[in-house]
Amino acid sequence: MLVEVENLSKTFGEFRAVDNVSFAIERGEIMGMLGPNGAGKTTTIHMILGLITPSSGRISIFGKSMATHRGEILARMNFTSPYVAFPFRLTVLENLMVFARIYNLKKPRERIDELLQRFGIAKLRDKPIARLSSGENTRVGLCKAFMNDPQLLLLDEPTAYLDPEIAWQVKNALLDAQREKGTTILYTSHNMDEVERMCKRIIFLHHGKVIAAGTPIEITQAILEEEREEPALEEVFLRLVKGKAA
Amino acid sequence: MKIHRINAVIVRHLYEARRNFDRLTDLIWWPVLDIVMWGFFTIYLAHSSRLQPNVVSCLLGAVILWGTFYGFQRDMAVGFIDELWCRNLINLFSTPLTLSEYMVGLIGVCLLKVMVGLCAASAVAWAAYSFDIVPWLPMFIPYMANLLFFALALGIAITGLIFRYTTKIQALAWSFAGLLMPASCVMYPMSSLPRWMRAIAWMLPTAHSFEGMRQVLAGKGFSPQHFWWGAGLNAIYFVLAIGFFGWIFEQARTRGLLVKMD
Repeated sequence: MLVEVENLSKTFGEFRAVDNVSFAIERGEIMGMLGPNGAGKTTTIHMILGLITPSSGRISIFGKSMATHRGEILARMNFTSPYVAFPFRLTVLENLMVFARIYNLKKPRERIDELLQRFGIAKLRDKPIARLSSGENTRVGLCKAFMNDPQLLLLDEPTAYLDPEIAWQVKNALLDAQREKGTTILYTSHNMDEVERMCKRIIFLHHGKVIAAGTPIEITQAILEEEREEPALEEVFLRLVKGKAA
Repeated sequence: MKIHRINAVIVRHLYEARRNFDRLTDLIWWPVLDIVMWGFFTIYLAHSSRLQPNVVSCLLGAVILWGTFYGFQRDMAVGFIDELWCRNLINLFSTPLTLSEYMVGLIGVCLLKVMVGLCAASAVAWAAYSFDIVPWLPMFIPYMANLLFFALALGIAITGLIFRYTTKIQALAWSFAGLLMPASCVMYPMSSLPRWMRAIAWMLPTAHSFEGMRQVLAGKGFSPQHFWWGAGLNAIYFVLAIGFFGWIFEQARTRGLLVKMD
Protein backbone atom coordinates (compact mmCIF):
# COMPACT_ATOMS: atom_id res chain seq x y z
CA MET A 1 0.00 0.00 0.00
CA LEU A 2 1.26 3.48 -0.86
CA VAL A 3 -0.83 5.29 1.72
CA GLU A 4 -2.00 3.81 4.99
CA VAL A 5 -4.16 5.80 7.37
CA GLU A 6 -4.99 4.07 10.64
CA ASN A 7 -7.46 5.24 13.28
CA LEU A 8 -6.90 8.88 12.44
CA SER A 9 -8.73 11.37 14.66
CA LYS A 10 -8.63 15.11 15.09
CA THR A 11 -10.36 17.07 17.78
CA PHE A 12 -10.57 20.85 17.96
CA GLY A 13 -11.68 21.59 21.51
CA GLU A 14 -15.00 19.76 21.88
CA PHE A 15 -15.45 19.29 18.14
CA ARG A 16 -14.38 15.98 16.61
CA ALA A 17 -13.55 16.86 13.00
CA VAL A 18 -12.15 13.43 12.07
CA ASP A 19 -13.19 10.37 14.01
CA ASN A 20 -11.19 7.17 13.84
CA VAL A 21 -10.74 7.18 10.06
CA SER A 22 -8.83 4.31 8.45
CA PHE A 23 -8.17 3.63 4.79
CA ALA A 24 -5.41 2.59 2.45
CA ILE A 25 -4.57 3.48 -1.15
CA GLU A 26 -2.77 1.13 -3.49
CA ARG A 27 0.07 2.27 -5.73
CA GLY A 28 -1.33 3.69 -8.99
CA GLU A 29 -4.89 3.87 -7.69
CA ILE A 30 -7.24 6.86 -7.87
CA MET A 31 -9.31 6.92 -4.72
CA GLY A 32 -12.21 9.28 -4.18
CA MET A 33 -13.08 10.86 -0.86
CA LEU A 34 -16.66 12.06 -0.73
CA GLY A 35 -18.80 13.72 1.85
CA PRO A 36 -20.82 16.86 2.48
CA ASN A 37 -19.23 20.12 3.59
CA GLY A 38 -17.74 19.74 7.06
CA ALA A 39 -17.43 15.96 6.74
CA GLY A 40 -13.70 16.04 7.51
CA LYS A 41 -12.28 15.55 4.01
CA THR A 42 -10.06 18.62 3.97
CA THR A 43 -8.92 18.11 7.57
CA THR A 44 -7.92 14.54 6.65
CA ILE A 45 -5.95 15.82 3.63
CA HIS A 46 -4.26 18.48 5.77
CA MET A 47 -3.25 15.82 8.28
CA ILE A 48 -1.83 13.68 5.48
CA LEU A 49 0.18 16.71 4.39
CA GLY A 50 1.43 17.28 7.94
CA LEU A 51 -0.18 20.73 8.11
CA ILE A 52 -2.34 19.66 11.04
CA THR A 53 -1.08 17.38 13.81
CA PRO A 54 -3.50 14.47 14.37
CA SER A 55 -4.94 14.00 17.86
CA SER A 56 -4.39 10.27 17.41
CA GLY A 57 -3.77 7.70 14.72
CA ARG A 58 -1.03 6.96 12.25
CA ILE A 59 -0.27 8.03 8.69
CA SER A 60 2.22 6.08 6.63
CA ILE A 61 3.17 7.03 3.06
CA PHE A 62 5.70 5.19 0.86
CA GLY A 63 6.08 2.85 3.83
CA LYS A 64 7.32 5.67 6.10
CA SER A 65 5.67 7.46 8.95
CA MET A 66 4.55 11.00 8.14
CA ALA A 67 5.33 12.04 11.71
CA THR A 68 9.04 11.27 11.33
CA HIS A 69 9.74 11.49 7.57
CA ARG A 70 7.69 14.54 6.58
CA GLY A 71 10.25 16.24 4.31
CA GLU A 72 11.24 13.06 2.53
CA ILE A 73 7.61 12.13 1.89
CA LEU A 74 6.52 15.60 0.78
CA ALA A 75 9.33 15.69 -1.80
CA ARG A 76 7.60 12.78 -3.59
CA MET A 77 4.02 13.99 -3.36
CA ASN A 78 2.05 17.14 -4.09
CA PHE A 79 -1.24 18.82 -3.40
CA THR A 80 -3.61 21.37 -4.82
CA SER A 81 -6.90 22.94 -3.94
CA PRO A 82 -8.69 25.85 -5.58
CA TYR A 83 -9.17 27.27 -2.07
CA VAL A 84 -5.50 28.08 -1.55
CA ALA A 85 -3.87 30.87 -3.49
CA PHE A 86 -0.59 32.18 -4.79
CA PRO A 87 1.09 35.55 -4.23
CA PHE A 88 -1.10 37.63 -6.50
CA ARG A 89 1.41 40.22 -7.64
CA LEU A 90 3.80 37.58 -8.93
CA THR A 91 3.33 36.29 -12.45
CA VAL A 92 2.39 32.68 -13.15
CA LEU A 93 5.98 31.96 -14.18
CA GLU A 94 7.46 33.59 -11.05
CA ASN A 95 5.13 31.65 -8.77
CA LEU A 96 5.94 28.37 -10.45
CA MET A 97 9.67 29.17 -10.43
CA VAL A 98 9.54 29.43 -6.63
CA PHE A 99 8.13 25.89 -6.43
CA ALA A 100 10.54 24.64 -9.09
CA ARG A 101 13.37 25.85 -6.82
CA ILE A 102 11.82 24.24 -3.76
CA TYR A 103 11.75 20.92 -5.64
CA ASN A 104 15.23 21.59 -7.05
CA LEU A 105 14.27 20.91 -10.66
CA LYS A 106 17.16 20.68 -13.10
CA LYS A 107 15.43 22.44 -16.01
CA PRO A 108 12.69 24.49 -14.36
CA ARG A 109 11.75 26.70 -17.34
CA GLU A 110 11.26 23.70 -19.62
CA ARG A 111 9.21 21.85 -17.03
CA ILE A 112 7.04 24.90 -16.37
CA ASP A 113 6.45 25.51 -20.09
CA GLU A 114 5.49 21.86 -20.55
CA LEU A 115 3.00 22.01 -17.67
CA LEU A 116 1.51 25.32 -18.80
CA GLN A 117 1.03 23.75 -22.21
CA ARG A 118 -0.54 20.62 -20.73
CA PHE A 119 -3.13 22.62 -18.78
CA GLY A 120 -3.77 25.10 -21.61
CA ILE A 121 -2.47 28.23 -19.92
CA ALA A 122 0.80 28.82 -21.78
CA LYS A 123 -0.35 32.26 -22.87
CA LEU A 124 -0.81 33.30 -19.22
CA ARG A 125 2.83 32.67 -18.33
CA ASP A 126 3.75 36.32 -17.78
CA LYS A 127 0.45 37.49 -16.32
CA PRO A 128 0.19 38.34 -12.62
CA ILE A 129 -1.96 35.87 -10.68
CA ALA A 130 -4.26 38.76 -9.68
CA ARG A 131 -5.42 39.07 -13.30
CA LEU A 132 -6.42 35.42 -13.71
CA SER A 133 -9.92 33.99 -13.45
CA SER A 134 -10.72 31.39 -10.77
CA GLY A 135 -10.49 28.61 -13.35
CA GLU A 136 -7.12 29.82 -14.60
CA ASN A 137 -5.92 30.00 -11.00
CA THR A 138 -7.03 26.42 -10.44
CA ARG A 139 -4.97 25.35 -13.44
CA VAL A 140 -1.89 27.16 -12.09
CA GLY A 141 -2.43 25.12 -8.92
CA LEU A 142 -2.48 21.96 -11.02
CA CYS A 143 0.78 22.97 -12.73
CA LYS A 144 2.26 23.41 -9.25
CA ALA A 145 0.87 20.02 -8.21
CA PHE A 146 2.58 18.25 -11.14
CA MET A 147 5.83 20.21 -10.79
CA ASN A 148 7.82 17.47 -9.04
CA ASP A 149 6.29 14.61 -11.04
CA PRO A 150 4.68 13.34 -7.82
CA GLN A 151 4.10 9.69 -7.05
CA LEU A 152 1.17 10.71 -4.85
CA LEU A 153 -1.23 13.56 -5.58
CA LEU A 154 -3.77 14.93 -3.13
CA LEU A 155 -6.41 16.86 -5.01
CA ASP A 156 -9.05 18.76 -3.10
CA GLU A 157 -11.86 19.51 -5.56
CA PRO A 158 -9.47 20.10 -8.44
CA THR A 159 -12.19 20.83 -10.99
CA ALA A 160 -14.11 23.38 -8.92
CA TYR A 161 -14.39 26.67 -10.87
CA LEU A 162 -13.52 24.95 -14.16
CA ASP A 163 -15.87 25.05 -17.13
CA PRO A 164 -16.89 21.58 -18.42
CA GLU A 165 -14.40 21.55 -21.29
CA ILE A 166 -11.42 22.48 -19.13
CA ALA A 167 -12.60 20.13 -16.38
CA TRP A 168 -12.64 17.34 -18.98
CA GLN A 169 -9.06 18.24 -20.03
CA VAL A 170 -7.93 18.20 -16.42
CA LYS A 171 -9.54 14.82 -15.75
CA ASN A 172 -7.81 13.43 -18.82
CA ALA A 173 -4.48 14.83 -17.67
CA LEU A 174 -4.98 13.10 -14.31
CA LEU A 175 -5.95 9.81 -15.93
CA ASP A 176 -2.94 10.05 -18.25
CA ALA A 177 -0.63 10.62 -15.29
CA GLN A 178 -2.11 7.60 -13.56
CA ARG A 179 -1.84 5.39 -16.66
CA GLU A 180 1.58 6.51 -17.88
CA LYS A 181 3.42 7.15 -14.64
CA GLY A 182 1.39 5.19 -12.14
CA THR A 183 0.60 8.30 -10.12
CA THR A 184 -1.53 7.54 -7.07
CA ILE A 185 -4.30 10.07 -6.52
CA LEU A 186 -6.56 10.90 -3.58
CA TYR A 187 -9.40 12.93 -5.01
CA THR A 188 -12.17 14.88 -3.33
CA SER A 189 -15.05 16.34 -5.30
CA HIS A 190 -18.70 17.24 -5.03
CA ASN A 191 -19.22 16.13 -8.60
CA MET A 192 -20.45 12.54 -8.35
CA ASP A 193 -20.25 11.81 -12.09
CA GLU A 194 -16.64 12.85 -12.05
CA VAL A 195 -15.87 10.60 -9.10
CA GLU A 196 -17.64 7.66 -10.76
CA ARG A 197 -15.55 8.17 -13.88
CA MET A 198 -12.23 8.77 -12.16
CA CYS A 199 -12.10 6.61 -9.07
CA LYS A 200 -11.72 2.90 -8.69
CA ARG A 201 -12.66 3.05 -5.03
CA ILE A 202 -14.25 5.67 -2.83
CA ILE A 203 -14.74 6.37 0.83
CA PHE A 204 -17.66 8.36 2.17
CA LEU A 205 -17.07 10.62 5.15
CA HIS A 206 -19.82 12.11 7.26
CA HIS A 207 -19.39 13.93 10.58
CA GLY A 208 -15.74 12.89 10.49
CA LYS A 209 -16.44 9.15 10.17
CA VAL A 210 -16.09 6.74 7.26
CA ILE A 211 -19.68 5.64 6.67
CA ALA A 212 -19.10 3.67 3.46
CA ALA A 213 -16.17 2.38 1.44
CA GLY A 214 -15.78 0.33 -1.74
CA THR A 215 -16.10 0.58 -5.51
CA PRO A 216 -18.79 2.96 -6.83
CA ILE A 217 -21.06 0.05 -7.82
CA GLU A 218 -20.51 -1.80 -4.52
CA ILE A 219 -21.41 1.30 -2.56
CA THR A 220 -24.43 2.03 -4.74
CA GLN A 221 -25.81 -1.50 -4.27
CA ALA A 222 -25.02 -1.66 -0.57
CA ILE A 223 -26.48 1.71 0.38
CA LEU A 224 -29.49 1.73 -1.93
CA GLU A 225 -30.09 -1.95 -1.06
CA GLU A 226 -31.05 -2.90 -4.62
CA GLU A 227 -29.42 -4.38 -7.69
CA ARG A 228 -28.08 -1.71 -10.00
CA GLU A 229 -26.09 -2.05 -13.19
CA GLU A 230 -24.58 1.42 -13.01
CA PRO A 231 -23.26 3.34 -10.02
CA ALA A 232 -25.53 6.12 -8.75
CA LEU A 233 -23.37 8.03 -6.33
CA GLU A 234 -25.57 11.09 -6.31
CA GLU A 235 -28.48 9.06 -4.98
CA VAL A 236 -26.15 7.34 -2.52
CA PHE A 237 -24.83 10.69 -1.37
CA LEU A 238 -28.31 12.05 -0.71
CA ARG A 239 -29.45 8.84 0.99
CA LEU A 240 -26.42 8.71 3.25
CA VAL A 241 -26.46 12.35 4.20
CA LYS A 242 -30.21 12.52 4.78
CA GLY A 243 -30.28 9.15 6.50
CA LYS A 244 -27.45 10.05 8.84
CA ALA A 245 -28.82 13.51 9.44
CA ALA A 246 -32.17 12.00 10.38
CA MET B 1 18.49 22.43 5.63
CA LYS B 2 18.70 22.63 1.84
CA ILE B 3 20.17 25.70 0.18
CA HIS B 4 17.90 25.44 -2.88
CA ARG B 5 14.81 25.71 -0.69
CA ILE B 6 16.24 28.71 1.21
CA ASN B 7 17.04 30.21 -2.18
CA ALA B 8 13.40 29.65 -3.25
CA VAL B 9 12.18 31.72 -0.29
CA ILE B 10 14.66 34.52 -1.10
CA VAL B 11 13.58 34.53 -4.75
CA ARG B 12 9.90 34.56 -3.77
CA HIS B 13 10.40 37.72 -1.65
CA LEU B 14 12.65 39.40 -4.20
CA TYR B 15 9.94 38.92 -6.84
CA GLU B 16 7.51 40.49 -4.38
CA ALA B 17 9.86 43.43 -3.71
CA ARG B 18 10.13 44.04 -7.43
CA ARG B 19 6.39 43.98 -8.07
CA ASN B 20 5.01 45.50 -4.88
CA PHE B 21 5.19 49.29 -4.68
CA ASP B 22 4.73 49.17 -0.89
CA ARG B 23 7.83 47.03 -0.51
CA LEU B 24 9.79 49.37 -2.80
CA THR B 25 8.85 52.38 -0.69
CA ASP B 26 9.84 50.48 2.47
CA LEU B 27 13.15 49.66 0.85
CA ILE B 28 14.30 53.12 -0.26
CA TRP B 29 11.67 55.79 0.32
CA TRP B 30 11.41 55.84 4.12
CA PRO B 31 15.15 55.53 4.89
CA VAL B 32 15.86 58.39 2.47
CA LEU B 33 12.95 60.51 3.70
CA ASP B 34 14.06 60.07 7.33
CA ILE B 35 17.58 61.18 6.58
CA VAL B 36 16.36 64.18 4.55
CA MET B 37 14.05 65.32 7.36
CA TRP B 38 16.58 64.85 10.15
CA GLY B 39 19.27 66.37 7.92
CA PHE B 40 17.31 69.63 7.71
CA PHE B 41 16.86 69.52 11.46
CA THR B 42 20.60 69.20 11.97
CA ILE B 43 21.16 72.16 9.63
CA TYR B 44 18.81 74.16 11.84
CA LEU B 45 20.73 73.01 14.92
CA ALA B 46 24.04 73.85 13.27
CA HIS B 47 22.95 77.51 13.16
CA SER B 48 22.43 77.47 16.89
CA SER B 49 25.39 78.76 18.86
CA ARG B 50 24.55 76.31 21.67
CA LEU B 51 25.16 73.29 19.50
CA GLN B 52 27.65 70.88 21.03
CA PRO B 53 30.25 69.26 18.82
CA ASN B 54 29.26 65.95 17.19
CA VAL B 55 25.53 66.43 17.69
CA VAL B 56 24.93 66.52 13.94
CA SER B 57 26.90 63.30 13.43
CA CYS B 58 25.13 61.67 16.37
CA LEU B 59 21.69 62.49 15.00
CA LEU B 60 22.40 61.42 11.44
CA GLY B 61 24.23 58.28 12.56
CA ALA B 62 21.33 57.46 14.87
CA VAL B 63 18.77 57.95 12.09
CA ILE B 64 20.69 55.63 9.78
CA LEU B 65 21.15 52.91 12.41
CA TRP B 66 17.59 53.13 13.70
CA GLY B 67 16.35 52.84 10.10
CA THR B 68 18.41 49.67 9.75
CA PHE B 69 17.01 48.18 12.96
CA TYR B 70 13.42 49.17 12.27
CA GLY B 71 13.58 48.09 8.61
CA PHE B 72 14.89 44.64 9.44
CA GLN B 73 12.30 43.95 12.13
CA ARG B 74 9.46 45.30 9.95
CA ASP B 75 10.55 43.39 6.83
CA MET B 76 10.70 40.11 8.76
CA ALA B 77 7.16 40.46 10.04
CA VAL B 78 5.72 41.96 6.84
CA GLY B 79 7.38 39.26 4.73
CA PHE B 80 5.47 36.66 6.70
CA ILE B 81 2.23 38.68 6.65
CA ASP B 82 2.53 38.73 2.86
CA GLU B 83 2.10 34.94 2.89
CA LEU B 84 -1.04 35.29 5.00
CA TRP B 85 -2.51 38.01 2.81
CA CYS B 86 -2.17 35.86 -0.29
CA ARG B 87 -3.08 32.57 1.46
CA ASN B 88 0.16 30.98 0.33
CA LEU B 89 1.11 29.19 3.57
CA ILE B 90 -0.57 25.90 2.65
CA ASN B 91 1.17 25.88 -0.72
CA LEU B 92 4.55 26.49 0.89
CA PHE B 93 4.28 24.13 3.84
CA SER B 94 2.79 21.27 1.83
CA THR B 95 6.20 21.05 0.13
CA PRO B 96 9.42 19.73 1.72
CA LEU B 97 10.21 23.32 2.76
CA THR B 98 10.81 23.38 6.51
CA LEU B 99 10.01 26.19 8.87
CA SER B 100 13.71 26.79 9.60
CA GLU B 101 14.48 26.97 5.86
CA TYR B 102 11.66 29.46 5.42
CA MET B 103 12.93 31.61 8.30
CA VAL B 104 16.54 31.53 7.08
CA GLY B 105 15.37 32.56 3.59
CA LEU B 106 13.31 35.38 5.03
CA ILE B 107 16.24 36.57 7.16
CA GLY B 108 18.49 36.49 4.08
CA VAL B 109 16.14 38.61 2.00
CA CYS B 110 15.57 41.07 4.88
CA LEU B 111 19.32 41.46 5.24
CA LEU B 112 19.61 42.26 1.53
CA LYS B 113 16.79 44.79 1.71
CA VAL B 114 18.10 46.51 4.80
CA MET B 115 21.54 46.87 3.20
CA VAL B 116 19.95 48.60 0.20
CA GLY B 117 18.16 51.02 2.57
CA LEU B 118 21.35 51.57 4.57
CA CYS B 119 23.34 52.37 1.42
CA ALA B 120 20.64 54.75 0.13
CA ALA B 121 20.37 56.62 3.45
CA SER B 122 24.16 56.79 3.85
CA ALA B 123 24.56 58.11 0.31
CA VAL B 124 22.00 60.87 0.91
CA ALA B 125 23.59 61.77 4.28
CA TRP B 126 26.97 62.07 2.58
CA ALA B 127 25.76 63.95 -0.52
CA ALA B 128 23.37 66.37 1.18
CA TYR B 129 24.80 66.85 4.67
CA SER B 130 28.45 65.85 4.31
CA PHE B 131 28.04 63.12 6.90
CA ASP B 132 30.28 60.26 5.83
CA ILE B 133 29.49 57.10 7.77
CA VAL B 134 32.21 55.04 6.07
CA PRO B 135 35.17 56.07 8.31
CA TRP B 136 33.07 55.16 11.36
CA LEU B 137 31.99 51.79 10.04
CA PRO B 138 34.77 49.65 11.55
CA MET B 139 33.66 50.72 15.03
CA PHE B 140 29.95 50.86 14.14
CA ILE B 141 29.75 47.36 12.70
CA PRO B 142 29.69 45.52 16.06
CA TYR B 143 26.87 47.81 17.24
CA MET B 144 25.04 47.38 13.94
CA ALA B 145 25.40 43.62 14.27
CA ASN B 146 23.82 43.84 17.72
CA LEU B 147 20.99 45.97 16.34
CA LEU B 148 20.30 43.50 13.54
CA PHE B 149 20.50 40.55 15.92
CA PHE B 150 17.93 42.18 18.20
CA ALA B 151 15.74 43.06 15.19
CA LEU B 152 15.96 39.40 14.21
CA ALA B 153 14.87 38.20 17.67
CA LEU B 154 12.00 40.71 17.66
CA GLY B 155 11.04 39.79 14.08
CA ILE B 156 10.92 36.10 15.02
CA ALA B 157 8.83 36.80 18.13
CA ILE B 158 6.39 39.04 16.24
CA THR B 159 6.12 36.51 13.42
CA GLY B 160 5.29 33.92 16.10
CA LEU B 161 2.55 36.16 17.47
CA ILE B 162 1.16 36.62 13.95
CA PHE B 163 1.19 32.82 13.54
CA ARG B 164 -0.97 32.56 16.63
CA TYR B 165 -3.24 35.60 16.27
CA THR B 166 -3.02 35.99 12.45
CA THR B 167 -3.59 39.35 10.76
CA LYS B 168 -5.63 40.58 13.73
CA ILE B 169 -2.38 41.84 15.22
CA GLN B 170 -0.59 42.72 12.00
CA ALA B 171 -0.15 46.36 13.12
CA LEU B 172 2.58 45.08 15.44
CA ALA B 173 4.74 44.46 12.38
CA TRP B 174 5.02 48.19 11.81
CA SER B 175 4.63 49.54 15.31
CA PHE B 176 6.49 47.30 17.73
CA ALA B 177 9.93 48.79 17.14
CA GLY B 178 8.41 52.24 17.69
CA LEU B 179 7.34 51.15 21.19
CA LEU B 180 10.98 50.52 22.04
CA MET B 181 12.24 53.79 20.58
CA PRO B 182 11.89 56.01 23.70
CA ALA B 183 13.85 53.61 25.91
CA SER B 184 16.35 52.81 23.14
CA CYS B 185 17.92 56.28 23.51
CA VAL B 186 18.21 56.69 19.75
CA MET B 187 18.56 60.49 19.74
CA TYR B 188 19.67 61.24 23.31
CA PRO B 189 22.00 59.75 25.90
CA MET B 190 20.75 57.27 28.48
CA SER B 191 21.47 59.85 31.19
CA SER B 192 18.55 61.94 29.85
CA LEU B 193 16.07 59.27 30.89
CA PRO B 194 14.35 59.23 34.28
CA ARG B 195 15.90 56.70 36.65
CA TRP B 196 13.12 54.08 36.29
CA MET B 197 13.40 54.19 32.51
CA ARG B 198 17.16 53.75 32.60
CA ALA B 199 16.62 50.31 34.06
CA ILE B 200 14.49 49.43 31.03
CA ALA B 201 17.07 50.94 28.67
CA TRP B 202 19.81 48.76 30.15
CA MET B 203 17.76 45.71 29.17
CA LEU B 204 17.56 46.80 25.52
CA PRO B 205 20.41 45.94 23.12
CA THR B 206 19.30 48.93 21.03
CA ALA B 207 20.09 51.37 23.88
CA HIS B 208 23.60 49.90 24.24
CA SER B 209 24.21 50.17 20.51
CA PHE B 210 23.19 53.83 20.34
CA GLU B 211 25.07 54.66 23.52
CA GLY B 212 28.16 52.99 22.07
CA MET B 213 27.74 54.79 18.76
CA ARG B 214 27.62 58.17 20.53
CA GLN B 215 30.81 57.34 22.39
CA VAL B 216 32.53 56.54 19.11
CA LEU B 217 31.35 59.80 17.51
CA ALA B 218 32.44 61.76 20.62
CA GLY B 219 35.93 60.38 20.05
CA LYS B 220 35.89 58.18 23.17
CA GLY B 221 36.52 55.04 21.17
CA PHE B 222 34.76 51.70 21.06
CA SER B 223 32.92 50.70 24.24
CA PRO B 224 33.33 46.96 24.89
CA GLN B 225 30.95 47.30 27.85
CA HIS B 226 28.02 48.44 25.68
CA PHE B 227 28.86 45.92 22.98
CA TRP B 228 29.01 42.93 25.34
CA TRP B 229 25.90 43.98 27.25
CA GLY B 230 24.05 44.19 23.94
CA ALA B 231 25.44 40.87 22.71
CA GLY B 232 24.59 39.10 25.99
CA LEU B 233 21.04 40.43 26.01
CA ASN B 234 20.68 39.46 22.35
CA ALA B 235 21.74 35.90 23.09
CA ILE B 236 19.02 35.65 25.76
CA TYR B 237 16.33 37.28 23.60
CA PHE B 238 17.25 35.18 20.58
CA VAL B 239 16.98 31.89 22.50
CA LEU B 240 13.64 33.03 23.96
CA ALA B 241 12.35 34.11 20.53
CA ILE B 242 13.33 30.82 18.88
CA GLY B 243 11.76 28.79 21.70
CA PHE B 244 8.59 30.88 21.54
CA PHE B 245 8.36 30.57 17.75
CA GLY B 246 8.89 26.81 17.76
CA TRP B 247 6.24 26.40 20.44
CA ILE B 248 3.78 28.65 18.58
CA PHE B 249 4.34 26.78 15.29
CA GLU B 250 3.55 23.45 16.95
CA GLN B 251 0.48 25.03 18.53
CA ALA B 252 -0.58 26.29 15.09
CA ARG B 253 -0.29 22.77 13.68
CA THR B 254 -2.15 21.23 16.59
CA ARG B 255 -4.96 23.78 16.48
CA GLY B 256 -5.15 23.72 12.68
CA LEU B 257 -4.31 27.43 12.52
CA LEU B 258 -1.82 26.97 9.72
CA VAL B 259 -4.60 26.15 7.28
CA LYS B 260 -7.05 28.73 8.56
CA MET B 261 -4.92 31.83 8.61
CA ASP B 262 -6.26 34.94 6.96
